[in-house]
Amino acid sequence: MASSQPDSTWRTSRRTALAAIGTTGALGLAGCIGLGQEGDEDGGELSGDINIAGSSTVYPLMFAFAEAFQGNHDGVNIDVSRTGSGGGFQNHFCPGKTDFNNASRPIKDEEKQLCEDNGVEWIELQVATDALTVVVNNEADFVDCLTVDELKQIWQPDAAETWAEVRDGFPDEEIERYGAAETSGTFDYFTENVVGEAGAHTDDYQATEQDNTIVQGVQGSEYAIGYFGFSYYYNNPDVVKALKIDDGDGCVEPSLETAASGEYTPLARPLFTYPSTESLGEEHVAEFARYVVEQTTNEDLVAGDVGYVPLTDDLQSQMQSRLEDAIDQAQG
Amino acid sequence: MSVERRPSFERVARVKGTLLEYLSLGASLVGIVALAVLLVYVAVDAFDLASASHEWILTYVGTVVVPLVALFLYSADDPGLTVRVTLALGGGPIASFMAFRLLAAMGGSVPGLTWSVFYLFAFVVPTTAYVLYAGSQGPIGATAVGLLGRLLGGIAAGLALVVLFVVFDPQLWTLAYTLGVLPTGALVAFARRRESSLANRLALPVGIIGFLAATVLDGLLVFYVRTWLLYVWSVAAPVALGVGLLAARERDRREAALVGALAFAVPVAGSLAGTLVGVAPRHALLVLLTLAVPTARFVRRALDADEGALGLVAPLLLAGGAVVGTLVVQAGGFPAPDPWLDWSYVTSAPSRHPEQAGLYPAIVGSIFVICLVAVLSFVLGVGTAVFLEDYTADEGLSGTITRVIQVNVANLAAVPSVVYGLLGLGLFANMLGMGFGTVTTASLTLSLLILPITIISAQEAIRAVPDHLRQGSYAMGATRWQTTKNVVLPEALPGILTGTILALGRAIGETAPLIMIGAPTTVFSPPEGFASRVSAMPMQIYAWADAPQPEFRYGVVAAGVVTLLVVLLALNGTAILIRNRYETEV
Repeated sequence: MASSQPDSTWRTSRRTALAAIGTTGALGLAGCIGLGQEGDEDGGELSGDINIAGSSTVYPLMFAFAEAFQGNHDGVNIDVSRTGSGGGFQNHFCPGKTDFNNASRPIKDEEKQLCEDNGVEWIELQVATDALTVVVNNEADFVDCLTVDELKQIWQPDAAETWAEVRDGFPDEEIERYGAAETSGTFDYFTENVVGEAGAHTDDYQATEQDNTIVQGVQGSEYAIGYFGFSYYYNNPDVVKALKIDDGDGCVEPSLETAASGEYTPLARPLFTYPSTESLGEEHVAEFARYVVEQTTNEDLVAGDVGYVPLTDDLQSQMQSRLEDAIDQAQG
Repeated sequence: MSVERRPSFERVARVKGTLLEYLSLGASLVGIVALAVLLVYVAVDAFDLASASHEWILTYVGTVVVPLVALFLYSADDPGLTVRVTLALGGGPIASFMAFRLLAAMGGSVPGLTWSVFYLFAFVVPTTAYVLYAGSQGPIGATAVGLLGRLLGGIAAGLALVVLFVVFDPQLWTLAYTLGVLPTGALVAFARRRESSLANRLALPVGIIGFLAATVLDGLLVFYVRTWLLYVWSVAAPVALGVGLLAARERDRREAALVGALAFAVPVAGSLAGTLVGVAPRHALLVLLTLAVPTARFVRRALDADEGALGLVAPLLLAGGAVVGTLVVQAGGFPAPDPWLDWSYVTSAPSRHPEQAGLYPAIVGSIFVICLVAVLSFVLGVGTAVFLEDYTADEGLSGTITRVIQVNVANLAAVPSVVYGLLGLGLFANMLGMGFGTVTTASLTLSLLILPITIISAQEAIRAVPDHLRQGSYAMGATRWQTTKNVVLPEALPGILTGTILALGRAIGETAPLIMIGAPTTVFSPPEGFASRVSAMPMQIYAWADAPQPEFRYGVVAAGVVTLLVVLLALNGTAILIRNRYETEV
């Protein structure tokens, strides 16, 4: 009987509290063992994990695919990370830690080598087309269109100091540059196709993986210039001004149409995802990859929700057969 | 010394002292004001107050805030305060309106704020906070604050339980409770009643065996029983038993049995009623348990007390005010804001559409990881601190080694979190193979990160235990282990807990180490176990801050920040409660 006992029996003393905390701790740690044994339930439904890393340009698109797929398949856990195309290949995909790697440029030779060394095989799937957009401040009335050569002068290693050096008649003001960081596929694509040599880029710029930082910078100065994927500009057309690009055939503005028709050169670029062949052997990964390829022509999702150019039907069926071959091989 | 050279006190300059006073005032204001402005803007974005009409804000201030303030003013019973508060709340709208008009006339504007939002944050919030504080010094206010605190705390604790059971299998807990906790408790109770040392000694082994049996059985069995029933048996029943036993200390047996029965029946019956309002009974049960039991106890005590029972109407005032306010707003057709931070935000997964986006998987992930970090860093930190303080010699070779360790622990506290992330990546993820970005890796890495802080604060707490207590214990013939267990640790517990929980506050906001160990930016479902990959709130907020759509960068991010802050405040509030409880116990 509690009432017959002295008071101290039922008082929550610090000692009791200490014991309680200790017990909770032990329970928590033991739960570790308990839960660790679970998993591996076989059911008719698709189930399993899918890990995706890579380009931050492709991230919104892959995120949208994953969200839509997840809506129909509760048992599949997808996670998506933004690591940059290079960072993803280097640290995640080729070491065999992820199932897909998104990239805003084709895989490089040294990355192929790394994957091969680790025994990771892959296929290349194009998922959309992007119009890499060069932007300036809304107040910058002096410039509407740049030729590829002028762009090169601004971004090459021995870059122009002032706008006047780029073209006669431009103001004699220093250029403020905001661009992609070196781990980014955007950086690789831009240097290769504008400057003409992969990795050749001026050092005199603010490097970032965050598009938002570029916009903030360009908004802050009349003489600033920056570049990033079309999606950001598509969703925020009023905050900065996109430049038209002249590749010899006159000025072409970046848009879903010009990128789709191939007029917007050289900055219209393919966006990729690289599934690992081994992962495609698992049914839930294969099903997700099929879903991605199937959705690449979906206007509402690719263009409407995210802001990239959907694939043409031809290109889609090409990707489809490439994927099916790989799945057959992996599961065969 | 000659008499002439005595210092003359009339000529002491006060300028320096005054200057320093104002400088330090200014220095403290800079930080506080900057933080307040940031929080105001975040709150405005998260709750979409910018699109709330002036009438909407004023209506709710009138129906919800004013009655509460009146109650607390009545409690404070200070005519001067009443006049000042009336002036601030009544004159505030006029002053804000005039100020904004004046500013507009001069061609300026305050970005993102309307005069009514300004009134809300510049007048209503500080005035209410001050009145709540002043009023809670009186008995009525104290009762009101106590009741509101128990309601809020009860809901928070209930939700925390719900989240914990999302990741910890309810079935495993039920088995562990039935096979481990229950027999152990029975043995301990028996040992106390009959003073049987055999039962006492058996208790721990029985508990451990029961627990192991539970983990083994859990893998073999699948219960096809509703989770609600598991909770009734393994959560509601023991809580009711505890409540009954507590009541038995103060009342006779029959009353105590009645109290226990009520503590069982009310939440169980109430949870079934939860279906009517669309809440799952199993969740309603947990929330009602943590809500009803302390609240009922408090109400009972307040009613028994001589004064202050009037304070019990505070929740009714708030609820009634909200209802009246809603009716007025609907009748008047005032445009209401559409807050980003709402129920669906905290219960749904991330989405590409900003209005559907939610933080649920990241919230569960963060809380899960933090719970593990709490357990790990408490055990490791206290262990190290006890060893360093009480088990090492001060002199000789071992003394030198201890000092070297001391210095290194202090230095480790200053190592940047990215470095801990690298350590976690190399050690836990790669070498020990615990997986890339999994719950285990994340919680071990974060535990290491805050371990130095935990050790140092635990050491301080242990050092603060007066030495004569230890000596007294030794003089009674106690061993070192008995002294540590019975004297030092209980004395130092409040300090240790405070230090640990404040350190957890740092861990929950960390992003860099999580990026390093490869924690995914986005997951669509909460972690299901220790090997699941997990995302955390700051990771998801960081990703949203760079989303192409502006709605993400403003509304959704702000809502995430507010959620993170609320969880953090709940953690720190718990720390303060625990500390106060054990400090007054001495």
